[in-house]
Amino acid sequence: MTLQTTTARTTPGPAAPRLSTLVRRYAAILIPVAAVLAAGLIGLCLVGLMGVPIRAALDAFIGGAVGSPYAIAASINRSVVFALVGIGFVLANRANLTNVGGEGQIAVGGIAATAVALYGGVAHLPLGLPIVLPMLAAVAAGAMWGALAGIFKVKAGTNEVISTLLLSFIAIWLVYWSVQSEALLRRPRTTSATLPESLEIPESTQLPLLTGDFSFPLHIGLPIAVMIAVVAAIVLEKTIFGTGLRAVGLNPVAATRAGISYGRTVIAALALAGALGGLAGAFMIQGEQYLLKDGFSSGYGFDGLVAGLLARGSVGGVIAASLLFGFLRSGGINMEMVAAVPTALVMVIQGLIVIMLAAASFWLDRRPP
Amino acid sequence: MSAPSAPLLSVQGMTKRFGSLLALSEVSLDIAPGEIHCILGENGAGKSTLCNLIFGVHQPDAGAMRFRGAPYQPTAPADALASGISMVHQHFSLVHDMTVVDNVLLGQTRGVLDRRGCANRLDQLARQYGLPLEPFAKIEDLSVGERQRVEIVKCLMREPHLFVLDEPTAVLLPDEIAALLEVCRRVAERGCGVVLVTHKLAEIKKAADRVTVLRGGRVVAASSSPAAEIDALVRAMIHRDADAPATPFDPAPGGETAAGPSALRSAATRARGQTDVLQVDGLTVRDVHGVTRLDNFTLTLTGGEIIGIAGVEGNGQSELAAVLSGMIAPTSGSFYVKDLDLTRAGPKAVTDAGMGVVPEDRHAVGCIAGMTVAENMFVSRLGQFARWGFLRRGAVNIAALALMKHFDVRAAGPEAAFSSLSGGNQQKAVLARELNLQNLTVLLAAQPTRGLDVGAVAAVYGHIRAASERGVGVILISSELDELLSVAHRVIVLYRGRIMGTCPADPAQRQRIGAMMAGHAA
Amino acid sequence: MTWELLAVFVGSSIRLAVPLLLAGIGELVSERAGVLNMSLEGMMLTGAFAAAVGAWATGDPLIGLVIGVLAVVPVAALQAFLSVTLRANQIVTGIGINILMLGATTLAYREIFGSRSREQIPGLDKWAPPLLGNIPVFGEAVFRQVWLLYAGIVLIVLTAVVMRTTSLGITIHAAGVEPKAVDKSGLSVARIRWLVVLFTGFMAALAGAFLSIGDIHTFTEGMTRGAGYLAIAAVIFGKWKILGTTFACLLFGAATAMQFQLPALGVAVPNALLIMMPYLLALLAVAGLVGRQTAPAALAEPYRRS
Repeated sequence: MTLQTTTARTTPGPAAPRLSTLVRRYAAILIPVAAVLAAGLIGLCLVGLMGVPIRAALDAFIGGAVGSPYAIAASINRSVVFALVGIGFVLANRANLTNVGGEGQIAVGGIAATAVALYGGVAHLPLGLPIVLPMLAAVAAGAMWGALAGIFKVKAGTNEVISTLLLSFIAIWLVYWSVQSEALLRRPRTTSATLPESLEIPESTQLPLLTGDFSFPLHIGLPIAVMIAVVAAIVLEKTIFGTGLRAVGLNPVAATRAGISYGRTVIAALALAGALGGLAGAFMIQGEQYLLKDGFSSGYGFDGLVAGLLARGSVGGVIAASLLFGFLRSGGINMEMVAAVPTALVMVIQGLIVIMLAAASFWLDRRPP
Repeated sequence: MSAPSAPLLSVQGMTKRFGSLLALSEVSLDIAPGEIHCILGENGAGKSTLCNLIFGVHQPDAGAMRFRGAPYQPTAPADALASGISMVHQHFSLVHDMTVVDNVLLGQTRGVLDRRGCANRLDQLARQYGLPLEPFAKIEDLSVGERQRVEIVKCLMREPHLFVLDEPTAVLLPDEIAALLEVCRRVAERGCGVVLVTHKLAEIKKAADRVTVLRGGRVVAASSSPAAEIDALVRAMIHRDADAPATPFDPAPGGETAAGPSALRSAATRARGQTDVLQVDGLTVRDVHGVTRLDNFTLTLTGGEIIGIAGVEGNGQSELAAVLSGMIAPTSGSFYVKDLDLTRAGPKAVTDAGMGVVPEDRHAVGCIAGMTVAENMFVSRLGQFARWGFLRRGAVNIAALALMKHFDVRAAGPEAAFSSLSGGNQQKAVLARELNLQNLTVLLAAQPTRGLDVGAVAAVYGHIRAASERGVGVILISSELDELLSVAHRVIVLYRGRIMGTCPADPAQRQRIGAMMAGHAA
Repeated sequence: MTWELLAVFVGSSIRLAVPLLLAGIGELVSERAGVLNMSLEGMMLTGAFAAAVGAWATGDPLIGLVIGVLAVVPVAALQAFLSVTLRANQIVTGIGINILMLGATTLAYREIFGSRSREQIPGLDKWAPPLLGNIPVFGEAVFRQVWLLYAGIVLIVLTAVVMRTTSLGITIHAAGVEPKAVDKSGLSVARIRWLVVLFTGFMAALAGAFLSIGDIHTFTEGMTRGAGYLAIAAVIFGKWKILGTTFACLLFGAATAMQFQLPALGVAVPNALLIMMPYLLALLAVAGLVGRQTAPAALAEPYRRS
């Protein structure tokens, strides 16, 4: 048998049609919404299983969330805290860094804000400095806390999930320490005041309310957070720094070869996330609680983290998710007080949302083969 | 050997698509027991896809296979293995921190490991087929040729009926290639069918009983006396007409290569008038284990000169490229671009000094797959499009469009996803980016044509030659000797990190260069 | 420091190290095969809760232990399904499961026990090996521990033997370094990874059960308090080796024991600093102050055949 040749056709066969592109375009919004609804439904089922009449639970929930101007303001104030942590998460995540230390960054921010407000001699300064300086201290403290994780990552390759988590625990215990010791931030013990907490911060350092009316205590944290959100969105999409974050996140080796400094980018990203967390802590102290006490940050970090995860990289998504969780938390607290449904239910719903979203990303992120 | 009536493996009408890419179309062929059957084709012809279908890594969209007389439809490598088909892949899948014995035992046994028994069996196989191995050595301590032997032994331990090797000689020295072909011959003599996938003609001439040629996912030729019909086979592989060179490197019938002796002379004349653009002084690189990967590497590059670095992959080329591109610091030694010391300056300084780098691993180092074409083309110079820290995307896109036209980068547009480009176009884009540096003085291209089809290869050569003519000094690292002889002015040979010798890039020097590549001093 | 105090310190260190050790070895095997379980904390908490409820309901701590293990199986299966089958982000799913189980166990606890915490529950017995337990001064303090510790030691030795000398062991190792090699050998990467995650769940259940019915004999909401993350840090500190991880867990246990030891010595260190100590040590460990750690190459990378 000798050589056989065939004449080859040159036109390739037709490609299979792809409707998945269409689904995928809307999936980015549909799937998170579906996850929230599904988790909410499961939550309702659990309420029923606990023997609590669903009507009563829902009424308590809605009442706590939006039932009064006070409730609405409180919900929005909470959302602001979550949003800051969530925006920080999204910023760091653009560089493929997962910051789970939000609670710790809130904690050190709170410590710094309280310390400066009480003992920094700022109470009588002009030009709004009594409000701004504690906030700046909180931002610096949070930035340092985040930068630490960044430095560990760059110098030792430490997984930032573990380091930010451990730093978070340390920070929580730092709060405990600072309010236990009178040498630190604890209020002097008298016959009437024996609780481990700080003194109340001077009125001049407290965040002014937008309406001045204490029955609607929405403070200036909201406009500040909105501004920060806008800036963050612009930075991510339109600046060189944002493109650098994205490059490092997609391919750190190629980004290094392209002259982008991996070390500087990582540390900056985590410091930024930490700074926003610190600011959130300042808002909590200066805007709501007016003093520092043990466990003040409990749960806020995780809520912000989940808001960041739910948002899938978009600042707008963080705002939406934060509002959702802000109202969710307020409703949950009221549900516990009035209808005896533990707030742990809210945690269950949040956990379900995160899991369902992560499972669904199997659909969302599937690249064409 | 003529094909017997009962084929071992029979492939009928196989078709496979990956998204919109038609990798295989209506491919049919037979493998007979006891024969060495070569699958010949260029990069992208579908050879690896065919192997993966046979081995069950992927499933075909259409077509059927029969193995040893029964229908054969593997859904996973486990099915192929169970049926008696073993495969040595192009990229090894060995666990680098385990021993040879442990790697061989993986998937072969259950319960407590009989390491001593396995070592004995390895010695037996070594004598039978000529595959000497140190049973308790760790994979990470073995050379590439030795690692391939482990892969082969893993296959032979299963006593397969069909033995498939995907581009096995790409990483071997000439001596090792001969040894491998001998192993294949002995395996075939025992009645096993051997499928050898290659694009190297020398192997076909030496070893093949039958050849099937693939081009563009289709069977375009087959032969049962390949040694005699080699020219026709090659032409079928690349589909050029009778007067054109058969490969980009071969001389036109009766003519000389583009960089033949006359071209060499004029290039040398040009080079003599230029200044030194790159000075490398005693670069030495030791890895984390203390092994010397690059030893006292020295060279001087003049503007307009193309120096080829020859050698089988893994002999220090990667380390050289990594140091010169600023990605790692050498253990000792230094290098200067126009009297600027860049030894430990980092990638940004290297780029700013005018050295463009086309890295060996495009996907890992050369580009960012998730970004657009425009972003990739200017990722190292985004600062030039900045205003107050804002990125002027419109300007980037316009500049990218111009570059794309000039370098014939085919894509839907500057905002297309980089990952949507073909391999050839991606490489052209990377080359465009590096050649577009404003003060380009040196171009370092490492394996720039690997995996590209002939058209893209020719384009890359064209741009390299054009850069050289503009006065840019070029360092071309390639494991394809033909490529270096065709493009470079002179060739430096690396072997185990050391310079074995230098000589002009003249086809007449081929034997000498080959000897140096194998470690024989000049 | 008197010998009695030293003995108590050593004994406490061991006791406090046990949950870290059990969970840590389970996680080590999983990470060696390439799966990172951030949900270790949630699995431990589930085991603690289920064992407590089981012991309380039946009056028998052993049945409680079994129930604890059974309750964690679906949680581990969920993590395996998400990480291995769906190839979802292992860190995000782990944290999600932690949040979910923290909420679920708190909810269930409130439902069953009301808001009374500190309900006394029948606990597991202690045991001391025959000769060692009789050493004067040290014997009782150091070696009389909840028997789960000794069962755990046996399990750990078995794990080490399996990892070194069996086909399962090299498959686990290969799956974490070069899963392609496992696939091309005809084995299933997904199956081995499912297996190791279930093993992690089993060990985490034992660790959690130790906390609730072994050590304190009660359940409190969120009682693991970061022990799961400490265990993960211990695996990193121990460079993914069994001996190293054991040492790291003992170190962290000792750091926690210091909380009670230093005040007994009259050393006035703020309580918070002592409580913080294990986390601080873990942080220093993962930050590379004890040498750079190299994780298994394929850790937390879902495997796709290509």
